[in-house]
Amino acid sequence: MKLGRIALLLAGATALEFFFGGSKYRGVWPVDWLLVATAIVARSGGFGRAVLTGAAAGFLEDALTETLLGLNAFAKAGIGYVLAFVSVRVIFGGAFAVGGVIALCCLANDAIVAVLRSLLLGAPVVLGSPEALWRAVATGTTAGVLEAAWSFPWREWRERRRAGRLR
Amino acid sequence: MLLASVLVLCVLALSAQAPARSQRGSVLQSWILTVAGPVATALGTVSRGVSGTSTSFVDSFTARAENERLRRQVERQNEELFRLRAEVGQIRGELGLRASAPFLPSVVASAPVLLLERRAGLQSALIGIGSSSGVTAGSPLAVPEGLIGRVVTAGRTLSRVQLLLDASAAVGARVVRTGDLGIVRGDGRGALLLNHVSTTSRVRAGDVVESAGIDGIYPRGIPIGRVESVSRGETLFLDVRVVPAASFSRLTDVLVLAPFPAAEPEGPSATR
Repeated sequence: MKLGRIALLLAGATALEFFFGGSKYRGVWPVDWLLVATAIVARSGGFGRAVLTGAAAGFLEDALTETLLGLNAFAKAGIGYVLAFVSVRVIFGGAFAVGGVIALCCLANDAIVAVLRSLLLGAPVVLGSPEALWRAVATGTTAGVLEAAWSFPWREWRERRRAGRLR
Repeated sequence: MLLASVLVLCVLALSAQAPARSQRGSVLQSWILTVAGPVATALGTVSRGVSGTSTSFVDSFTARAENERLRRQVERQNEELFRLRAEVGQIRGELGLRASAPFLPSVVASAPVLLLERRAGLQSALIGIGSSSGVTAGSPLAVPEGLIGRVVTAGRTLSRVQLLLDASAAVGARVVRTGDLGIVRGDGRGALLLNHVSTTSRVRAGDVVESAGIDGIYPRGIPIGRVESVSRGETLFLDVRVVPAASFSRLTDVLVLAPFPAAEPEGPSATR
């Protein structure tokens, strides 16, 4: 994936974070758009770009919401690498597989950040809260839907529909 | 190799900031907030506009069934009503808050909540106001229902807020009925815990908990919440769970209060 597209993807993800985060219905479907952006880059299989995108996305998140810069950057860089590895070496096909992997990554992101906050700030480790689980479900489902939409044969489907109408 | 480099960079960045964490946030973060301010404010405005429109749509949905001709008129009126109600509610809340607590420091301004982050024990928010409006790090925040948190980093037009629900947040508190003092802490999961209340205390479910003004950050007399349950812990203190007075998940606007001077320097330490 080209660098311009990655920058555009990150800008879009940040815009979506603000768009939904500023709404009073923010808790209804809390998607981690920056993690989705990292996963989209990792899907192309580039380890370096996935790691750097993860780090940049995490850094953005840290700058806006975290106490320390680097917590989410650390977590998302690692997740970017893992996602690229999963994409290239193992399997990264099918909406359900993608959704499940992203949901797990969302929980892993929370866990890494919680442990780092505990080590550096002495904050209590809070894991597996209902909010975190719901966020993982929302992020995984959204990523799964995006994967399904991406891999769906739209052209064939449109041609089949047109052929059906002609008949 | 690249992953290792990025991770090492992150660790270095974290190490560089760690010693100053209890102060007022890093200069770098303040700069980033200042740069991000206009974009975040614009996006927040669009988002709030969409929320407002959707709310108006829902409000006018029942009226629409009555008459097709009246539908548009009702929708327009509802939009205006929604806006006016929000304005009146905000002004009334601000006045009510001041009237209910005359010792409250002056309200600096009200600000929209642009982003709310709730993950891994972190409960923070971005608000659309900054140092250009007189907001400084440490300014307490409240809504008419009660205390919300405090500003930790102030950019020029954008500030980062630590909510009371954050696992690292704490506020000196007082049970109104019994006068018992304690420390309210966020549990990072959306609830509050009142610590350091002796087992001899007569605190019970339903008691109102307010800020005690002993931490040098939060002013005295602002409602924090209501006691939900009291149980005997394994220590000398009671386990007291408190339901927050304010609805954190549906925050749209907050009042920024003037920074509170330390009343008693030897009191319990406030938010870390």
